[in-house]
Parts: sequence; structure tokens; C-alpha cells
Amino acid sequence: MAEQSRVIELRHVDKHYDKLHVLQDINLTVHKGEVVVLIGPSGSGKSTLCRTINRLETIDSGEILIEGEPLPQEGKALAQMRAEIGMVFQSFNLFAHKTILQNVTLGPIEVLKTPKDVAEREAMELLERVGVAEQAHKVPAQLSGGQQQRVAIARSLAMHPKAMLFDEPTSALDPEMINEVLEVMVELAQEGMTMVVVTHEMNFARRVSNRVVFMADGQIVEEGAPDEFFDRPKSQRAKDFLDSIRGH
Amino acid sequence: MDFAQIIEQYGENYVKAIFETMSMTAICFALAMIIAVFITVMRVSPIKPLRLVGDVYVQVFRNIPGVALLIVIAYALPNLKVVLPWKACVEVTVVLLASAFGSENFMTGINAIGVGQIEAARSIGLTFGKTMSKIVIPQALRSAVLPMTNLLIATMLTTALGSQVPMSPQELTGLVSYITTRSTGAGIVPFIISAVCYAGTAVILGVVGNYIDKRVRVLR
Amino acid sequence: MSAHTTSMRDALYEAPGPRTKLLTLIGTIVSLVLVCIGLALVIQQFRITGQLDAKYWAFYTNMNTWRFLFDGFLGTIKVAAMAAVLSLALGVVLMLGRTSGIKVLEIVCRVIIDFFRGVPSLLLIYFFYLAMPQYGVRLPPFWMITLPVALAASGVLAEVFRAGVNAVPKGQTEAALSIGLTPGKTMFKIVLPQALRIVVPSLISQLVVVVKDTTVAYVVSYPDLMQNARVLLTTHDAVVSVYLVVAIIYILVNFAINQLSIYMARRSGNPIISRTTENPT
Repeated sequence: MAEQSRVIELRHVDKHYDKLHVLQDINLTVHKGEVVVLIGPSGSGKSTLCRTINRLETIDSGEILIEGEPLPQEGKALAQMRAEIGMVFQSFNLFAHKTILQNVTLGPIEVLKTPKDVAEREAMELLERVGVAEQAHKVPAQLSGGQQQRVAIARSLAMHPKAMLFDEPTSALDPEMINEVLEVMVELAQEGMTMVVVTHEMNFARRVSNRVVFMADGQIVEEGAPDEFFDRPKSQRAKDFLDSIRGH
Repeated sequence: MDFAQIIEQYGENYVKAIFETMSMTAICFALAMIIAVFITVMRVSPIKPLRLVGDVYVQVFRNIPGVALLIVIAYALPNLKVVLPWKACVEVTVVLLASAFGSENFMTGINAIGVGQIEAARSIGLTFGKTMSKIVIPQALRSAVLPMTNLLIATMLTTALGSQVPMSPQELTGLVSYITTRSTGAGIVPFIISAVCYAGTAVILGVVGNYIDKRVRVLR
Repeated sequence: MSAHTTSMRDALYEAPGPRTKLLTLIGTIVSLVLVCIGLALVIQQFRITGQLDAKYWAFYTNMNTWRFLFDGFLGTIKVAAMAAVLSLALGVVLMLGRTSGIKVLEIVCRVIIDFFRGVPSLLLIYFFYLAMPQYGVRLPPFWMITLPVALAASGVLAEVFRAGVNAVPKGQTEAALSIGLTPGKTMFKIVLPQALRIVVPSLISQLVVVVKDTTVAYVVSYPDLMQNARVLLTTHDAVVSVYLVVAIIYILVNFAINQLSIYMARRSGNPIISRTTENPT
């Protein structure tokens, strides 16, 4: 694929927590419009990997490139880059003192300098799209987990991101709320959003992703098209992992 | 002596004393808040010596008894060629104590926010300054309303330290000891008057603080 | 300082880039220099006013000095311990009254609680020291300091206990009532024991307030640490050194109590409820 279509690129990324080698020589390229799902047992480093992409975690060595540019290390440049990459967290992390509408408009107003009325109009459209427009004037604590997570997605979308990172977006949700969030994510994928998704939702991975990356012990063990990976995993680690989640 | 006699003889003193107590409370609390913000900034700064100074400041002044601090300031400092007027000694004491507790209240407010919201702020591109001014400080202030109300009440009670130095005019506690030693048979009336002034103000402040807290509290 | 505090204030900053690292280093060096200059100025002030002279500090090498201060400290402990016990008992009684469901009793207890929380302990001490003798009640100095300190603490403790009772899950009361316990038995056998466990860290931290309040024992001439310090400084004419040493002793004692309370809170997972965190009305 052409050079300019590489949105996210990790080259020989290494990271330690004290003695623990949590990321080992990670190489990963995400192209425009691609949906890459990171799966693996807990502690495999998949969340850490996801969080290094917008420098919520630092790396010890290697390179991270966003659209061919090295990831800035601090200051305005870093903030600017982060504004272009959306992030959705496991625990939603909505701003507790702001209304739903204010949560979505804060970034556009403060970072993109969008006029308030324009930001609010866009925010309402986004809230409509994720199905929580009626809650616009409530505060986060008044919403269910599923609703909060959809607001968090709208908050990211309001920044018109080039790519979005999802760090276990459904892991903190009650089972009946998982689908409402996944549906929004499926829609995004179908619209061509570039996405990196850390998840345990195998149906989502199989149905939506272009590529599955399987991690274990800080390494990328294998990657491939979803059907191939789920039906014919090459490595023993992947086979064991798939067996364990299928409950065999 | 009954209520009418006390008021007749000392009514003016009481008016002055109420003014002293309330104005000292207001001034000390305002100064304490300013210093508390300053100390809190030091304590959350990434610069280790400033953090240490802030932490030590808070530990010293939240653990020292008010009287001990007042005595050091009023009676020990003059030997070090630092001489303050009596009232200033009391005010400095109250401000030092209240600012330490004020900083603790701010820290508690900051701690309640949680790492997640700060990471979320970063990830939508807010700079450090914006993260502080839009996310951290507003929430810390809102959750500080109730503790700060209680601190304001505590500040008022601490100004009673004024009774331990020859202040003139006296505040509400000093006046009681003045009246009681001066007029034999003054009885408990002087106490009741001062106590009602203190407790009444405390209850009113509590109601107001509670009302504000209900309106601005951050639901979690 | 709790570990939580440390982690949160670190979380405000992200891992620094090279520029931030440099700025932090410069800030650290500059502030370190300023702190050292400040300390040097203080020491210099002590030196030029002669407060570092041997005569002001030599008597600390004499064991009798420490024995005398320790006697005072025992006095402080006696008052604080008795006041703590009394305020605990009174606090529980006031809390039970305030939550009894009997309207008149509730109002009376609430007024008492608000009163003791709303007046300075010094005023209460003057009441026992100056007013009561006018009615022929002249208590020994020990009680003239212990009772007002206990009363002042009881108001806050009543509210701490109430917060503790409220923290016991409602299901406990429902379960107790459903197996046929009377409301009274439910309170004493089920709710109160659990509430007491919840407030242990808060009670320990409240002890600091009691210790601080005992410092004015000199008003009633009871020989506590502060009173003995005053005797000591007149004997040696050493105002600065004695008051500084005594202040440091108080700070260390209260710091230790606070740390214990934080440790207990962390171990049990129960928060520290204090006059600043509780609801004021």
C-alpha cells in the first residue's frame, strides 16, 4: 500500500515496567480505513500497546509514527497530535462536572477553537447518532454505562479524528449494554474509520475487523485476516487462547 | 447578674467583640485560602523540593496545637527580633493553621477526580494548563465546598485563641474572661451570650455551605 | 501522606519529554537553592540573637529536664485519655438520641451536638474555670480541663458515629428485624458494633483534636506538657528553646496519631470521617 495511507506505524517498540518486559519489539502498521483488533490474554500488553499510540504510555525504545511523522514527546505538538487520534477508555472517563453536551463540545471549543454554537450543533448531531441526544443536559453519573460509553465515543468523534483507539470499550459494561456500544463501533467501521480496538468481543473481531493481532507476553505472536485467525490459528498460544475463551 | 444588666454594662463590648471575632474570621479565612492554594500548587508541582516544603508545612501546622503555635509566635519570636502586635500574632497563628487544613481539603478534592478523566482530557488534545483549568481545578473547588465550610467554622472557633493574649478590643472568648474576672457574680450569662454567637453563626454557615454544596456537588 | 495522594499528584503530569525534564531539573535546582537560603537565614537569625548559645540548650543534656517534661507529657496523656473515653461515651449517647426517632429527644440532642461543635473549647474551659466556681462548684484542675475537652469532642464524635451508622448497609437492619430482633436489639447487637468498626480510623484521628485541646491546661494550672514547659522556661530563662522543643514534641505525637489513623483507614478500607468531611448540618 502507498506510504501516505499508513496512519499508525510502530517500529521495534520496546517497553519495560521495572523488570517486566511488557512490549517486546512490536512492529505494527495500521492503514487508512483499516480496523485492527488486538486480542490476547490479560497481561499480554495489548492495552499498553494501544495506549502508547497517543503517548498515554511512553516507550523505552523504537519509533511510533503518525501519518509518517514521529510522535511528539510533549507540549503543544503532542496535544495537537492527540486531538487527531480519538481514544475510548474501558471506564468511559467522562468529565464528571460537565453535562453530556459539554463533554462533547469541550474539545472542539477549547482545542479546535470551534465557535460554541457550531460545536453544540455538531455535538447534538453526534449524540443523536449514538442515540443519547435526550440525555444531553444530564451529567455522566445519571447515565447507564452503555450510554456513557456512547457519549465517550461521541466526544472522540467531535474532534474529527484521523483514527480511533478503543481500549477494551465494553469490558466494564453489563452484558445487556455491550451490544449498543458495539453497534456504534460497527457503524463507524463501516463508514471507513481507522480503528485500533483492544477487545474480548470475538464476534465483533470476526465480523468487523480487517486484521486480528494476537499478543501474548508482550509480543505479537501472530496476525492475520479474522477468518483465517479464528478458523486456522497458526501458533499453539493462539490455539490455546481461542480454546480457553470458547470454553473447551 | 442577669441578661439585662450584662447587656447594659457590657453591651458595647459585645458589639465590638462580635465584630472582632467575625472580622478576624473573615480576614484569616481569606488569607488562609490564598496560602492554601499556593501550598497546594507547591505540593502537586513536579519539583521535589517544593513538594517537600509544602508537605512539611502541612504536617507541621495541622499537627501543632493552636495554643502552642500562638505562644511560639507571641512569646518566642520576639527573642528572635520578630515582634508582632498581639492581634497579628493571633491572626498569623490562625492563618497558618487554617491554610494547612485548607490545602488538605484541596488535595482531597484533587484526589477524588481520578486518573481516568485526566487521561481523557489529554487524549482529546487538552494541554496541561487546559486540563488543570477546565477539568482538575473546577472539580477540586466544587468538592471542597463542604470541607471549606467546616474549615470556616473551625477558623472562627480558632480565633478564640485571642483570649490568650492581651488583645484590645477583645474577641468573644477573651471578653468573657474579662467580664467574669471584673464583675464578681456575672454568672453564666456572659458565656451564654458568646456561646450563642459562636454556635448560631456556625449553624448558619453550615446551612449556607450545605446549600451551596448541594447545588455544585459533582455526582460520581 | 497516603500513597493515594502521591499517586494522584503524579498522575497530573505525564511522563516528561526532554524539554519538560530540563525545566523540572532547573526548577529543582533553583528551588533547592532557595530553600537552603531560607533555612540559612533562619539559622542566622537564631545565631545573631544569641539563641544558639549553649546556655539555652545545655540543660537538655540533663536527664531531669526530660524527666520533668515527661511528667508533663504523662499529665497530657491522662487528660487526653480520660477526655477521649468520656467523649466516646457521650458521643454514642448523643448519636443514639439524635437517631432515636423520638422527636423531642432528637431535637434536644441535635441542639446539644450543634452547641458543642459550634463553640470554642477555650470558652468551655473558661466556663468550668470561671463560671462554675461562682456557683460554688470548684472542680479539681484535672476535671476543669478534662470535662470541657471531652464535651467539645463529644459533639463531633456524635456526628462521626452517625456517619458510621449510616455507612452500615441497610440490609443489615432489615435482616436483623426480619429474624425478629427488636429495633433496640438491632441497633445494639447488629448496627452499632459494625458502625464502631467503621469509625475506628476516624476516632483515632479525632484523638489529635483532643490532644491539641489539652494544651490549654495551663489556664487551670494543671501540670501537662505545656504547663511544665512554662515552668521549665522560667527556671532556665530559655523561652525560644523550650517552646520550640515542646512544639516539636506535640507535632510528632499528633503526626504519629494521624499516621496510625491513616494506616488503620487503609488497612480496613474505611474512610476517615472528621469535622471537615462530615456534613455540617
